[in-house]
Amino acid sequence: MRFRNWLAILAGVLPMSLVVILVFLTAYAWPAIRFNGWGFAFRDMWNLGNLYADPVMSAGVSIQPGAEYGILFLIAGTLLSTIIALLFAIPVGAGAAVFLAEAIPGQLRTWISLFVELLAAIPSVVFGLWGYVVLIPFLGHHVFPFLASRLDLVPFFGGPPGSGYGLLTAGIVLAMMVVPLITATLRDALVSQPVALKEASIALGATRFEAIRYILLPRTRGVLIGATFLALGRALGETMAVLMVSGNALNYLPQNIYSPISTMAAFIVSQLDSALQDPSGLAVKSLAEIALVLCVISVLVNAAARLMLAAWGRTFSTARGA
Amino acid sequence: MATLPTSVPGNGRRPPLKMRWTRRISTMLGWTTCGLALLTLSGLMVWILEMVFVRGFSALTPTVLTTVTQGRGGGLLNAIEGTAVLSGGALLLAVPFGMASGIYVAEYHYSRWASVIGFLADVLVGVPSIVMGYFGYVTMVEWLGWNFSVAAGAIVLAIICLPYICRTTELALKQVPAEIREAAYALGASDRRVILRICLPAALPGILTGVLLALAISVGETAPLLYTAGWSSFMWDGHLTHSPIGYLTYAIWTFINEPFASANALAYAAALLVTGFVLLINIVARFTLKRTSI
Amino acid sequence: MKTTIASARPKRAATGLKLLAAAALAAGALSIGSTAFAAQTQLLETGSTLLYPLFNLWVPVYAKSNPGVRITTQGTGSGTGISEAISGVAQIGASDAYMSNAQMKVHPDMLNIPLAISSQMVNYNVPGLNNKHLNLSGPVLAGIYSGTVKFWDDASIRKLNPGVKLPHKMIVPVHRTDGSGDTFIFSQYLSFSTPSWNQHVGYGTTISWPAVQGGIGAEGNPGMVNACKTTPYCVAYIGISYKNSTDTAKLGEARLLNRAGKFVLPTPATVQAAVEATAAKTPADERISLIFAPGAQSYPIINYEYAIVKSKQPTAQHAMELKKFLSWGISAKGGEASHFMRAVGFVPLPAAIARLSENQVAKIH
Repeated sequence: MRFRNWLAILAGVLPMSLVVILVFLTAYAWPAIRFNGWGFAFRDMWNLGNLYADPVMSAGVSIQPGAEYGILFLIAGTLLSTIIALLFAIPVGAGAAVFLAEAIPGQLRTWISLFVELLAAIPSVVFGLWGYVVLIPFLGHHVFPFLASRLDLVPFFGGPPGSGYGLLTAGIVLAMMVVPLITATLRDALVSQPVALKEASIALGATRFEAIRYILLPRTRGVLIGATFLALGRALGETMAVLMVSGNALNYLPQNIYSPISTMAAFIVSQLDSALQDPSGLAVKSLAEIALVLCVISVLVNAAARLMLAAWGRTFSTARGA
Repeated sequence: MATLPTSVPGNGRRPPLKMRWTRRISTMLGWTTCGLALLTLSGLMVWILEMVFVRGFSALTPTVLTTVTQGRGGGLLNAIEGTAVLSGGALLLAVPFGMASGIYVAEYHYSRWASVIGFLADVLVGVPSIVMGYFGYVTMVEWLGWNFSVAAGAIVLAIICLPYICRTTELALKQVPAEIREAAYALGASDRRVILRICLPAALPGILTGVLLALAISVGETAPLLYTAGWSSFMWDGHLTHSPIGYLTYAIWTFINEPFASANALAYAAALLVTGFVLLINIVARFTLKRTSI
Repeated sequence: MKTTIASARPKRAATGLKLLAAAALAAGALSIGSTAFAAQTQLLETGSTLLYPLFNLWVPVYAKSNPGVRITTQGTGSGTGISEAISGVAQIGASDAYMSNAQMKVHPDMLNIPLAISSQMVNYNVPGLNNKHLNLSGPVLAGIYSGTVKFWDDASIRKLNPGVKLPHKMIVPVHRTDGSGDTFIFSQYLSFSTPSWNQHVGYGTTISWPAVQGGIGAEGNPGMVNACKTTPYCVAYIGISYKNSTDTAKLGEARLLNRAGKFVLPTPATVQAAVEATAAKTPADERISLIFAPGAQSYPIINYEYAIVKSKQPTAQHAMELKKFLSWGISAKGGEASHFMRAVGFVPLPAAIARLSENQVAKIH
């Protein structure tokens, strides 16, 4: 056989593994998908049923009596913690990128960029450890009670300040994990902008900051959005750090930003061994359905991000070439 | 395109010597905000590193590095070995396939198959690692009956590493000047010769960077291993299936939860080892080898 | 750029290839070198975090006189213990709960072998009251865990604790996220003492906890201790083998209302009383609940700690080593010795029960 064909087959392992994962998850989760129906996404109930009773048949599937699966609280926890993470990460990431690109000279910039961006290399479980040991006691004992008492009348900011485990803590830890993505991508884009643009606007009387704010940043909007989507994709699937700081809420929606939550990814880890208790096997299959939902959402978000960044890369390189 | 504020002086008029105070303030405020953002980021990094290094070093004793885990204390030698075995195994599997796909995507970029692989590599990066772990548990651990094992853990890690190696290989090959290829083809060299003997050696530093980064990723992973590699407090017995293996990230997650100081110390020591190693790889990858971005 | 790549090429390429080759060689050598250990029999114990401390005491002592076996211990939760014993991933599934009828029907070859008798504390963290023993009852706990009893100064709690000044603070109920025998026995206590709980929630190693605002989940008994320590005004159910930890964390320990209407703490005497009231009914397969025993002195949450074992082992070697270890564990001179039991707060099996367990161990082949 020709060299190229051999290579094509070896190379095919990568796409094959993705296809196998998706096909397998769908096939495995199929009974659960049928049993749970669309309500899966809209109910707040994760109930394996009475494990110590005999299984019964329902909708053509063998279940434990009383079993019912709905993951609205997980979807809410995942989305809310991700949104909070992005609300922190975008301004901080963009601000830091601007300062790195425009206010710090050459060699020093390399070092500081490296230092800040190494944040992205720290393993998730170490973020979790830090959140668990350092951040939760700090927020739970000092910051949250203070915030809750000062902002008592602001919706979602008042009410019981909780113990430190919860939505806001998860959001903050997630933000730290994704912020380097935004900083690094945006800084690269800012540095690679034509100097002439900045020079021209300064010659017209703009301050340096105004040149950045009104000329350079709008040109990199595509990159920022792409990077934000990448960050979104990472935050959605983040497991260990969230598992360690979220409080593992079950069956209820958060009442304020201090409430315990759980996310889809963290729930799979924390519930797999319980689910294996279900003699009907439906619980494990419902977890597979969560994995599938999570997988599809992250894949879509990630694909969108890549397409956006690629599109920006094309327009930008043609603009520069002209 | 963007518009400047109306106060910016227009055609022919001399700019006023004094800027409007609102512009001065907004400029100052802008810089301050951006500076504060960077300060916050670096501050958080320092805060985490402080915890990892201070608590880690005080927990890191020679016993930790030379003995195995014993109940709520002991050492981490089993976990260190396990992390090395799992990551090494993952790389052995991922490097050939990942490089093959990277080469294909770069060298046959005009073909449809190449663009499919390239796109799916990006998509695979986006699959959460816990989903991979779940997949590995139900297929390899349960269905194939491998139980918690090196093979199941390493294969799942390998799938996670694949797209990174693919992408860095592709980027490294793309930086090899087209003229070199053209010259080789003009001399009558085959595809195989051009790729393996000409392009690959030139791109090797870049590829190695990718392999190093993949190593860092697999050393730092936890979630996909919990249900595939399991945990063992003994040294690896050499079996690929049917025998669980320890790894450092498990020690961090589990031992910090124990109410015993000796167990917590192991968690901090493990965090130091993992973080130190991962940061070192990243720094090496940035500086001594050609920088390729992911 | 181009020139640097070209000039650096040969040297870097060479070192790179060497590195890869060295790594491959090292991996190969490692796998050959370590096959020497293969003669030892591997036993994996996983499951109940309540039994985990006991196994950690047992294994080093046992290993000294039995070098031919390697026993790995893991505290992962009873749920994992049961399912991994069933799937054969682990040889010993440690569990605070026996397997359900439905599970036994699917897996009739599983044995539920009691190793010891344990009890469960109900702990709390109410600043100022942790050194007192608050009185709590099944119905009040059911109210707390279903969200109807919201504050520490709720009338129902005040009624059980006359003269105690209780704060007006939200109660944070903590439950286990992993499949857990502790959840099983705790929810059994609630079910047996509170009809409405039995009707709406029931019991199991994993139950669908009613939605209680602020309620948090924790992993394993160690996670429960830590969560409660860092969360003022919490309530948690924690296995007795973590008594040292709850004491170190300065958590309060509640007196629980038993069937006879008395408030009791888990002590060897009250656990023994409950054992005497219930153990005689134990059937041959030893799957029985000891919860909410009659008798004025009986502590209401006690249970057998089970080794869940497959009767058919993969090899004769495994079966032999497993039988030997379990027999040692339930013998009065071996695992039931009082210094082991005292260290984790367990009570040894009565002689009649130990005989039943011994009969079950004999079935392993």
